[in-house]
Amino acid sequence: MDIQNTQSQMRKGVLEFCILSIIRQGEVYPSDIVDKMKGANLHILEGTLYPLLTRLKNAGYLTYRWVESNSGPPRKYFLMTDAGLQFYGELERTWKELADAVQTLTSTNGNIEVPEEIPNNNQ
Amino acid sequence: MKKVININFQGRVIPIEETAYEILKRYIDSLRQFFANEEGKDEIINDIESRIGELFDEQLKKGAPCITDADVETVIASIGRPEDFEADDAEYQGTKASANKTYASEAGPQQAYVRHERFYRDENNKLIGGVCAGLASYFGIDKLVVRILFVIFTFAFAFGIVAYLILWVAIPSTASEKIGAYRKRLFRDPENKLIGGVCGGLASYFGVNVWIPRVLFLIPFLSFVTNWNHWGVFNFPNFINLSFSPGATLLYIILWLIIPEAVSTSDKLEMKGEKIDLNSIKNTIQKDMEGFGERAKDFGKEVGERASKIGSEIGQRGKQMGSDAGHAVRRSGRTFGDVIALLFKIFAYFILAVILLAIVVTLFGLGIAATGLLPFKPYIIDNGWQSILLWGTYIFFIWIPVIGIITWIVRKITRIRSNSNVMRFGFAAMWILGWICFIGLLASLRNDFSYHNNPVENNITLSNASIDKMEVKFNNSDKYYFDNNFFHFEPFAYVDEDTVSINNIHVRILKSGNDSFKVKVLKLAYGTTKLVAEQRADNINFNISQTDSVLNFDRGIPVTKTDKFRNQSVYVTIYVPVGKRIYIDDNIGWGNDFHIDLGNDVDDWNWRRNNEGYDWSNSVEYIMTNDGLKPTHPTENDDNNDDNNSDDQPASPAPPEKPGKADSSKYHYQPPSNNSSTDTIKKEASINNSSNIKSRVNITDIASSFFERLSL
Repeated sequence: MDIQNTQSQMRKGVLEFCILSIIRQGEVYPSDIVDKMKGANLHILEGTLYPLLTRLKNAGYLTYRWVESNSGPPRKYFLMTDAGLQFYGELERTWKELADAVQTLTSTNGNIEVPEEIPNNNQ
Repeated sequence: MKKVININFQGRVIPIEETAYEILKRYIDSLRQFFANEEGKDEIINDIESRIGELFDEQLKKGAPCITDADVETVIASIGRPEDFEADDAEYQGTKASANKTYASEAGPQQAYVRHERFYRDENNKLIGGVCAGLASYFGIDKLVVRILFVIFTFAFAFGIVAYLILWVAIPSTASEKIGAYRKRLFRDPENKLIGGVCGGLASYFGVNVWIPRVLFLIPFLSFVTNWNHWGVFNFPNFINLSFSPGATLLYIILWLIIPEAVSTSDKLEMKGEKIDLNSIKNTIQKDMEGFGERAKDFGKEVGERASKIGSEIGQRGKQMGSDAGHAVRRSGRTFGDVIALLFKIFAYFILAVILLAIVVTLFGLGIAATGLLPFKPYIIDNGWQSILLWGTYIFFIWIPVIGIITWIVRKITRIRSNSNVMRFGFAAMWILGWICFIGLLASLRNDFSYHNNPVENNITLSNASIDKMEVKFNNSDKYYFDNNFFHFEPFAYVDEDTVSINNIHVRILKSGNDSFKVKVLKLAYGTTKLVAEQRADNINFNISQTDSVLNFDRGIPVTKTDKFRNQSVYVTIYVPVGKRIYIDDNIGWGNDFHIDLGNDVDDWNWRRNNEGYDWSNSVEYIMTNDGLKPTHPTENDDNNDDNNSDDQPASPAPPEKPGKADSSKYHYQPPSNNSSTDTIKKEASINNSSNIKSRVNITDIASSFFERLSL
C-alpha cells in the first residue's frame, strides 16, 4: 500500500467529473481537455482520455462532430448530450456532498501538514 | 545513418526513420492488445492514431526533416504506455485489481500486505525487478526478510543472484498481469490447422512461419520411412532416429491434449501476443532498471528508518522490559517460522519437480527401449495373431500409460480441467486393452516355448586329443561388419540382413577321465511341440573346427526370421585331462546369453543351472589338477593376466609358465592381433560356467513370474 496508489485512486474518482465539466462549457478537442486539466494541475494521459471519451460517448452522454482543420484531416470535437447534462448534474451533486463531508472531516483533524499533492509518475 | 521511410498515417504522409517506425508499430500493437476487450476499441485506436499523426505533423511543421526515435518516444510519453494507463484507468483497476488482491490486515500494526494468488513480480514494491517483493507478497511475509535471504544466498553460495535472474526473466510482472493480453500464451490455432492446430499455435508463439514447425515434425517421419529398410543395421544413430519418429507423433499427441485451443478472441490475441525473444527480455530488464537508483535510495531510507525505529523500540522495550518481551518473542518467532515455511515450500516444490521429471524420463526411456527392440520382432514373433498382439502390447500397454501419465502431469501443472473424465476413461480402456494384448502375447509365446528337444550330446572328434594345451577361439565372421559400433545390444550381438547371431554359447570345462581332451556339443531349442523343437535344434548351425591345438568356434548361433528365436543354445563341454592346459580366448563376448523363460512346466534343462563345471575366466590359461582347474599364473591381478596372455599367440604353443614373471612388457597395452569389436572393450568378464548366466536380470523372467502368478 503506497501513497501513490492512494493518490491515483483519489484522482481517478473525479476524473470523469472533471472531463465532463470541461466539455459542458462547449465543444472541445481532446488535447484541449488535457491542456485545460494540466492548467488546473490535474494531469491525465491522452491514452487514458480517449477510452474514457469513447466510453462516455457509447453511453450516450457525449457526441462528437468532425471539424475541418486547416492542417490535415478533420478533427473530432466532443460535445455534451442532454443525457450527459443530466449525468453531470448527478455527479456534481455527489461531488458537492463528498467535498462537504471531506471538508468537515479533515478540518476537525487539526492542522496536520498536508503534503503537497504530488502528480502521479506519469509524465 | 538511418533509413527514412514514408508512411501514410491516418491520412497524413509522415517521413519517419525506420527504427522509429518499429517503435511506433510496437506501441500501437501494445495499445491494441490493451484495449482488446474494450467496446469500441477500433475507435479508440483510431482517435489515438490521429492524435499521434497530428503531433507528428506539428513536429514536421517546426522544420524537422523526419520523425526520429526521440520524437516517437516523446509522443508515446505524452499519450502514455498501457502500463501507465493502469494507474489511471478506473474501470480496469476496479475489476482486475479486486480480483487479484485481498488485503490482509493480520500482518502487524502498520503493514497491510497485498497478497496475490499467483506468483508475480511485484511492480509496485520493486527494488530491482520486484522478484523479492513478489515472493514476499506470495508467501505473505515481509519483503525485507526475502531480500535479506537473497543477499545471504548471494554472498554465501552465489546462488541467490542466479535464482534472482532466473525468476526475473521467468516470472511475469504484476503489470503484465493487469494488461492481460500482454504476454504471449501457447494455444492451438484452430484457424491454421491441418490436424490439431499444434504447429499453427507453436508458429505464432515463436513468431515463425507455420511450415517451420510442420517440417520439424515431419523430418523424423521422413527418416523413419527411409530407414525402414535398414532396420537390420542396428547402430546407435539409427536407433535414435527410429525411436524419435514415433516420438514426434507422441509429442504431437501430447501437445494436442495439453494445449488449449484458442477459442475466444482474447485467446487469439494472447496467442499472438508480445513476441517473447531476447529483445523483449532485454526491454523488460531495461525498463525495470530505470529509476533503480531512486528506488535504491528509497530502500536505503526505509531500512534506515526501520533501523532507527527498531532501535528506539528496543530502547523503549528495555525500559519496560518484562511485559512486552513475550510479544516481541512471538513476533520474531513468527517471522522465523515464515522463513522456514518459505524454504520448506521451495524445497518441496523442487523435490516434487525432480520426481515428476524422473517419472516422465523413465517412462519415455521405457517406451524408447521398447521401440528399440522392435527390429528384433520378426525373429521372435510369429506373423499373424502373435504379431497383432505384439503391436497391441507395444501401443496400448507401453505407450498409452506413458502418454497418459505425462499428459496427466502436465495438465496438473498447468491446471487445465476440461473433459478429463472422457480422457481418464479413454486411457483406462486403452490400457486394459493393452493388458489383454500383453497377456495374450505371453500366453502365445509360452505355447511356443513349451517343449524342448531331448538333450543329446555329440562328440566332436579331435585329431590329436593328447596335446598338452588346448586353445579355444571364436571365429570372426565376415557378416559381423560393425566393428566400431558403440551401441551393442548384447544378447543379439549381431544383426544381419535377415539373420541375427545369438551369443547363446556356453562353455563348460570338466575333468577328463583319461589323458586326452574330449569335446562334446549339445544343441538345444524350444518349440510348440517336441518335434518342432527337435527340428529347430537340428537346424542350429554351429561349427567347431580344429587347427593343431586350436579349436575354432562359431561366434554365435544364426537365427533367421523363418526359424524364429526359441531359446536356441549350444553347450560345449571340454574335458581336460589332469596336467594339461586350457586357454579360452576372450572373443566369446561377455558371457551373455539370451533366454526367454516362460512357464515352469518346461523343465528348464539342468545344464543351464548346474554347477558341475569349473569356474573359468576368458584369456586366462588354466591347468587341470587333481583338485580341479587352476590358473597357470597365480594371479595377483586380472589385468596382468589379460595382458600376459595376449602375448601368447594362439598358434604358437605357449612356453611353460614362469611364476613371478613380471617383465615390464606386461604394462604395455598390446592390442590382440586379430580380435574384433568386443576387443576394444577389454573387460574381464568372468564366466562361471553356468551360475552367472542365471544371475543376469532378465525382464522376461519378471514378466513370466508375473504371468505364472496370474495363471495359477
